[in-house]
Parts: sequence; C-alpha cells; structure tokens
Amino acid sequence: MKDFHVAVVGGGVIGSSIAWELSKYDLNSVVFEKECDVAFGTSKANSGVIHSGINSATGSLKAKFCVEGNKLIEPLANKLGFSVKWVGKYVISKNEKEAKELEKLIKIGKENGVSGLKIVDGKEVNEKEPNISGYHALWVPTAGIMLPYEFTIALAENATENNVKFLLETKVSNITKKDDRFLIKTNKGNFQSQLLINASGLNCKKIVEMLEKPDFNVYPCRGEYLVLDKKYSNLINSMIYPVPPKKLGVLGVHLTPTIEGNILIGPSAEFINDPEDKKTTKNMMKTLLKEAKELLPSIPNDSIISAYSGIRCKLASSEEGGWADYKIYESKINSGFINLLGIESPGLTGAPAIAKEVIKMISRHIDLKPKKNFKTRKFMRKRFSEMSSKEQEELIKKDENWGRIVCRCEQITKAEVINALSNPLGAKTLSSVKFRCRAGMGRCQGGFCTQHIIRIMEKRFDMDINEMKLKSPNSNLFYGRARNLEND
Amino acid sequence: MININTDVTIIGAGPGGLASAVSAKLNGAKKVIVLDRNNWLGGILPQCIHDGFGVEELGKSLTGPEYADLYITEARKNKIEFLTETMVLNFNKNLEITAVNKKGLLNIKSQSIILAMGCREKTRWNIMIPGDRPSGIFTAGVAQSFNNLYNIRIGKKILILGSGDVGLIMARRLKFEGLDVLGVVEILPYGSGLPRNIVQCLDDYDIPLFLNHTVTEIIGRDRLESVKIAEVDKNFKVIEGTEKEISCDSLLLSVGLIPENELSKEAKIKIDKNTGGPIVNQFFETSIPGIFACGNCLQVYDTVDSLSKDAKTAGRFAAIKKRNKLNREIKVIPGKNISYIIPQKIDNSCKVHFTLRVKKPIEKPIIKVKSKGIKFYSKQLRFAIPANMVEFDLDIDLDEVYKNLEVSIGD
Amino acid sequence: MIEQEVTCIICPIGCKILVKKDNSTCEIIDGFKCKKGIEYAINEALDPHRMLTSSIIVINGKWPLVSVKSSKPVPKNKIIGVINQIKKANVKAPVTSGQKIIKNVLDLGIDIIATKSIEKL
Repeated sequence: MKDFHVAVVGGGVIGSSIAWELSKYDLNSVVFEKECDVAFGTSKANSGVIHSGINSATGSLKAKFCVEGNKLIEPLANKLGFSVKWVGKYVISKNEKEAKELEKLIKIGKENGVSGLKIVDGKEVNEKEPNISGYHALWVPTAGIMLPYEFTIALAENATENNVKFLLETKVSNITKKDDRFLIKTNKGNFQSQLLINASGLNCKKIVEMLEKPDFNVYPCRGEYLVLDKKYSNLINSMIYPVPPKKLGVLGVHLTPTIEGNILIGPSAEFINDPEDKKTTKNMMKTLLKEAKELLPSIPNDSIISAYSGIRCKLASSEEGGWADYKIYESKINSGFINLLGIESPGLTGAPAIAKEVIKMISRHIDLKPKKNFKTRKFMRKRFSEMSSKEQEELIKKDENWGRIVCRCEQITKAEVINALSNPLGAKTLSSVKFRCRAGMGRCQGGFCTQHIIRIMEKRFDMDINEMKLKSPNSNLFYGRARNLEND
Repeated sequence: MININTDVTIIGAGPGGLASAVSAKLNGAKKVIVLDRNNWLGGILPQCIHDGFGVEELGKSLTGPEYADLYITEARKNKIEFLTETMVLNFNKNLEITAVNKKGLLNIKSQSIILAMGCREKTRWNIMIPGDRPSGIFTAGVAQSFNNLYNIRIGKKILILGSGDVGLIMARRLKFEGLDVLGVVEILPYGSGLPRNIVQCLDDYDIPLFLNHTVTEIIGRDRLESVKIAEVDKNFKVIEGTEKEISCDSLLLSVGLIPENELSKEAKIKIDKNTGGPIVNQFFETSIPGIFACGNCLQVYDTVDSLSKDAKTAGRFAAIKKRNKLNREIKVIPGKNISYIIPQKIDNSCKVHFTLRVKKPIEKPIIKVKSKGIKFYSKQLRFAIPANMVEFDLDIDLDEVYKNLEVSIGD
Repeated sequence: MIEQEVTCIICPIGCKILVKKDNSTCEIIDGFKCKKGIEYAINEALDPHRMLTSSIIVINGKWPLVSVKSSKPVPKNKIIGVINQIKKANVKAPVTSGQKIIKNVLDLGIDIIATKSIEKL
C-alpha cells in the first residue's frame, strides 16, 4: 500500500493551495478528488472575487486570512501565471439612510487592516461608471477579480509538476486510524498516510464522521448566477455592490466583471437540504435579472448567455443568522487530522494564507525540507486571440494547429485545445477543456466547437466516445455508434 | 502574412456562399475566392441528409449533400477558389479581410465582399430553461452532425423542444436509428415547421406533438434523467397543475436560429433588429458599399431554393466593379402584421424581389404596398403564416415613390 | 369503407382532406382546395410511399458514414424493412455520389444510392 506523508481530501482551491505549498518540500503527498478535475465543486462556481476584507467580522479567521491572502495573490499570479485584475469595488448607497451602512463598512475595513478605502459621492462614481447612479459609494481599491478555476488549475498543475499526486475520480469511502497511520479506502484502492488534511468542502462533515463525532453541522447555501454576453463588458468597469439589504426577499445582487469580459449577476443565497443540488431556478433567474436592472438599467433582456450555481459550505443555519467563522484546527482526538471546515467566501482570497497556516500545522509533525529542484511553471496557457500578428504567424509556422480555429466565439485554436487536453492532471472532460482554454464559453455555448473538440479527443487522444464526459464521472455524452460494422 | 487580391471574396461556403460565388463568376467577376471555417464545403448541407432541397428551383427533390455538390461542381468548373479551414478574424469598411488558417495569417483585399456566414442555434440559456446542467442536452443541429457525420449515437430516449423543421427532421431521423423519440414539445398552438414535415416526421411514426407546451425544468445531476413540461395559455404563461415529468436521457433544442453577424457588427454594418441580419438594398448590398449579404446570415430562410435565388442576385451585383452613384434612397417599412421585410431600402429603379414574414397566421391575406398613404400595389395570397416566408416581385420606379414604401398585410 | 383524414403536403397550406376508402377504391369527401390535393389524397390513402434517406457505414473512408437515399419512394409498409437492410449494410471507400450501394433492396425494384462522395483514408 502506497504510504504518504500527507493526504489531502479535496482538490478544490483549498486542497490545491495546500498541495502546492506541500510540493515545495521533500514529501510524498497525494490529493484525492472525487470529480473528474480540480475545482469542479464550489471552487469554479463562485464570483471569482479577490476580497479586500471589509466584509468579514474583525478578529475572525475569515478577516485574517482574507487580508493576508489578498496580499499574496498578486505575487502568486506573477509566479504561476494566472490572471488577476484589480478592478476595485463600489458599494453603492441609494440614499442617506443606506449611506450610514457605508460608514460601518469603512470602519470594519480599517479595523481589519484594509487600505485605500474612501467614501465618494455619486458624481464621482458616475465619472468612472457612467451607467451607475447612486447617492454615495464606498470605493474599495484592493478588491480584484480572477478566474477561480484558472487559479485552482494553476496551483494543482504546478503541484503535479513537483510530484504531488492528484488522483481524480477518486472518492474516499472510509478512513481508519491505525497506530500513526491513517488508512484511507477509496474507489481506486487503499492508501495510507501519516497526516490527513480534510479540504473536502461540502463533504467536510462526512469525512470527519469517518473518524470521530463531529461537533458541527453543514448548512448548504446555494448561490445562483447569470452570465452576460461579452459584448456588454463596457457597461461597468469595477465591481458594483449595493449596500447589503435589510428587506426580506431582496438579494442585493452584485455585478461582477470577469477577466474575460463577461459580467456576472449574483449570487443569490438560498439554504437548501441537498449539498449537490446545483440547479438554477426560474424564480432566482428572474429575481437576479430584475435586481441587476435596478442597479444597471442598461442591461438588455437578451444579454444572458449562461447561468450556473455554486453551493456555499456554511456552518451556521439560516435561523442562526447564517454566519460562522472558519474552523481550521487539528483534531484533539486524532493527532495529524487537520480539518478545514466551512470555507465559504472569502475562501478564494484566503486560500494562499490558509495553505501557509496548514503547512505550519504540518511542520509540527514532520521536519519540512525544501526541495532542491522545485519548479515553477508559468501555467498561463497562451491565447492566440491575445497575441500580436507577428507572434501568431511565428506560432503557426512552428505548429500549424495554431492556425486552425475551432471555437469561433472566443477564437480558440486547435493547438490550445490540444494543449488543454494534454494537462498534467490527466483531466479529459469537455469541461476540463472549457476551463483551461475557454472553448465553449462563448455565446453559442459550444454550438460550433463541440464537434471539433470531440474529433480531437477521438483522433488525437484516442479516446473512446463512450468514455467522453461533460463534467462529472457519470455525465457521459454519447451512447456508442449509430452504425457498427456487423461481423459477417 | 499572405496577401491576396481578389474581385469578390465570400465568407462562408454554405448554400449562400456557393450560389453567390457561382453567380458572381458568371456575371463577370474574374477572381472569386470563398473562405470557409470547416474542412468541407457546403456548410450545413452535408449533414442535411434528408431530401426536399431544390423542389422549386430544379423541379427535383434532392438531399442536402446532393444540392451542395451541384453548386460545388459548378463552382470548380468556373475556377472559383476555395480556402477551407480558414477563419475570418475581422474585416473593415475598406473591404480588407484578416483571416487565419494552417498556412498563416491572410490579408485579403477585395473589390466586393459577400457575407454568407449562416446562422447559429439558440441555446438553452437564450430561453432560460431552469434546472440541472447535465450532459444530454443538445441543440438539434449539433445532434444532427454527431449522428449523420461522425457516426455517434447521442442518446436512447429523446425529447425534442421546438417543432421547427430541424427538430422535426431529427425526430424522424432518430426514430429511424431505433431511438425512442418520446415527442416534440411546441409552445405555439400550431407546429412551426412545414406541414409536409409534421406529416412525414411525426404523424407517420406516431410521434406525439405537444402543442401549447413548454419545458419548465431539466432534471439530472450527471446525465439527463427527465424533463418537466407544462401547458401554457395564450400568453405563454404556464398553467398551474399541468406540469408532468417525462423520463428521457436526451433533450434536443430546436428553438430558433440566430443569423451569425458578429463579424458584421464589429465592422459596424447596420443590422436590422427584426431579422438579426444586415440592412440591405434591393441588390443585397449592406450599409458598407461593396459588402453584400445573403443566405441565413441575412435572414433565416425556409427553403434553400429561395435562399439561392437571393444569393445569386447578391453575387450578380457584387461582380459589378463600377457602381452607380446613389440618386435617392427610399426606405421599405414593415407595416401592419409584418414582422420584417427585405430589402429594407431601395436605391435603384428596377424590379425588386421582396421577402417578408407575417406576425401571425392570416386568413385570406392581401399584401398592400403604399407610398405616402396611396396604394401602389396589392396582391391577394392564398394564406400567410409566420413559418412561411412570403415573396413577391414589384417594379419600382424611384420617381414614383415619395419617401418610403409601407408594406402591410390585412385580411 | 372507412374514413381517413389525409394531410396534404403538396403546398404549405396543408389541407386536411377527408376520404372514404376500402382496399381498392377511394372517394374524396371534403377538405381539398385544388386538383393536386385530390390526386395526392387518393394516392396517400390507397398506396402511400415515402422517399427514404439514411446513412450507411463506410470502411476506410475519410468520413465514417455515407448518406444514402432510395432511388424511388418506398411503400410505407416496407420502410422499416428497408431501414433494417440499410443498417446492416456497409461499403468500402471510395464512394461516389450516385453509386448503387444496395441493389433492388427487398426485391422492391428500389436501389439505395449514395448521395455524397467519400474519399479513401
């Protein structure tokens, strides 16, 4: 049985951040991820916001890790090559009453160590955001945006390059502790590890239950989003948030620009029973559009190209107020069992700082020797559409697949699709391609490119059509051949 | 950079591109090049293996590939050049096209450009169907390509949303393939495809047509498991208590086509919001002189026969190098009961071929063309429904028309 | 004599024509608007035929399937039988459009013809 120093359950942004930190040291580490790719849980289904820290209660772990993580993101982006844009955020108040809330936010922000905050009047907002009107606004310059899936993939693929094993489609079914080893049973075999990190997101309670009695509950809270067509990217420049509403039934939807030029409307917040219930609902989609148009009247009705939802792992119920701090601790019952529970917003921002904290906890058990040959690969996959003509021509000369565009909406080339499918994690779903090179994310939603991507999978990567999946392990795309050669 | 100079460059080698290319050559254009993003010619035709193409034009009912082959043969005979696997990145008002293929970047300068990019299919999110996001949801055209070109079976139990021709054709096709086609769901009180297809695709095979119904929810975490449908009232609002769940593994969406004009919009060509395509004059010239539009990127045609006819006109005038200076331009305005009419403007005295769609079914319809309130022309038709494009020819003398023409249909 | 409603497909109006028929004769009752409709309705009621289109698997071709059609309309009650023959068939590339792939399918005097050309791999 393979013996590891550290086993991480969960390949989301938290598990992948930890894996990347682990990969800097001489350790045998493994990540168990039950989906077909990293980030396929909540890590890809959020707003992609790098929070400043104004939204977290002073003194909480959320605030601490958010402010620390915020500072670590830019250097990490430069090192690993993922995109970050410091677009800033306006929290808009409609009237004097709401403006008082802005004063509260700026106070919390300053207490949390957030810099650059200032209150501006509606006229100043209008100069930078001609389509937004308000009374006063709080300007938050240290808030930014990223692509959460790109971030997670960069961390995971770099960790893989440095010999952390990512086992995809691998679900942990049982864990026992024997002497100083955790015995981990999965659908892909049995493993043992000295230390066990629980970064399994919505399944965090299930993992704890395998070893001890949990003293917490998980309350899944779904957030739905709408995605607007890129052609409306110039409607806003920064994130636009309303003052958090007190009225029941009002969501207080955010408008978040994305790195790619789409605008996200959302999220909603709905407590649900089933942590896997990621459906979008008619009610929420209508409400999201309605509230978005109140903030930004110029949004056309036919501007929506996609909708999705993500589930927050909350540790407090709706009745309890829905707010609880992170629980990051080593179990007192099972030494070496480190838990990360309730990592909801600002978890994306906090991830780099949380990972460093986990390394500190691990160092109490294992002497961490830095790797001599630690590699950093600038993960950023070259985008044909962003290159100069000269670069484009040079690439096509070297490899003609750069000249074959297979995704018309986003101008993605065959070379980029091949590159995406050649990822070191071995992830080969249609969504894995989408999240790495963007093919299929445009307004036609795969109408043109899907057949070409399937052809590449079949011919170039020798994939069996029955094995081709959309996203999850059982999301098969096809049911064999229309015609088969009959054996005479 | 590969530099190319041509007389006419055509973007798209589907039926619009093919017909206009041949016409341009036959009308005097010396060098005609057709660019297409796929590695085959014919656009959507090679996957349309059913017949019904060319009935009016040729008096025969051909299959899509056969119809395409006729034009491709004619094109090759006339030394028209094809560049396949070539994607146009952009073009500008100076008629300079930037394109890319495996050989590199191309810079193409032309005397005329014909836009023939076709159309794309409406997606689930264009009509905002709520629910899970499983595999097994395909637009009908994509399902058709997998089934007919790539020999891939897309599912076992199929439900189709939308009774337009693409959906009906796929219903029959998949039934032939031995799949369980559970029905076609249509929000309108009548089928939107040709009656011929309702009979030969649905009635013949006892495939139920659920009129006045829509899909209200998609269910399935991994692969599609079921779909909820419900009845709607005349305002298309769901009627409470009529929801039922249909177990299936595939949902084919045939809910509408959108003319593909991203390139046109980038070049600032004026677009008609009602057609989704460029505003054109009687010669199919767009708001940029020298750039013409034809085929499904101009409007969604019902039959390839009408499409080819207009495409030939576009090709004919794209071949003309010296264009007459504009005297006057009159607007053609869609009046009562008209959704849209093409051409939207006329700047030459000549015989004009009009195509239009009505807003709703009209019994004993009469087309009325007025100028300054005075009836200019009228014609009684046998019937008019939105699914059937109405066509008529009219001699227009600009001197006789005041400022614009208003076309309406009454009963 | 039984009554049957036939939807005419000659033109897009799609008249619903009512006929009365037995095994060999057919009488038009109502619903038609033109002569072509009468002719169609009688044919359809007594001896309906359909043009068949489908695809046949190709061996060693640049594309895995070749689209095919029946050389003439197939009697409606033989359609399933013909489709089954088509599903069992195969053809070696190269295939030329117009090539007869299945000759005289089910002895109906109808061929199954390729409607496109497929080059050899």
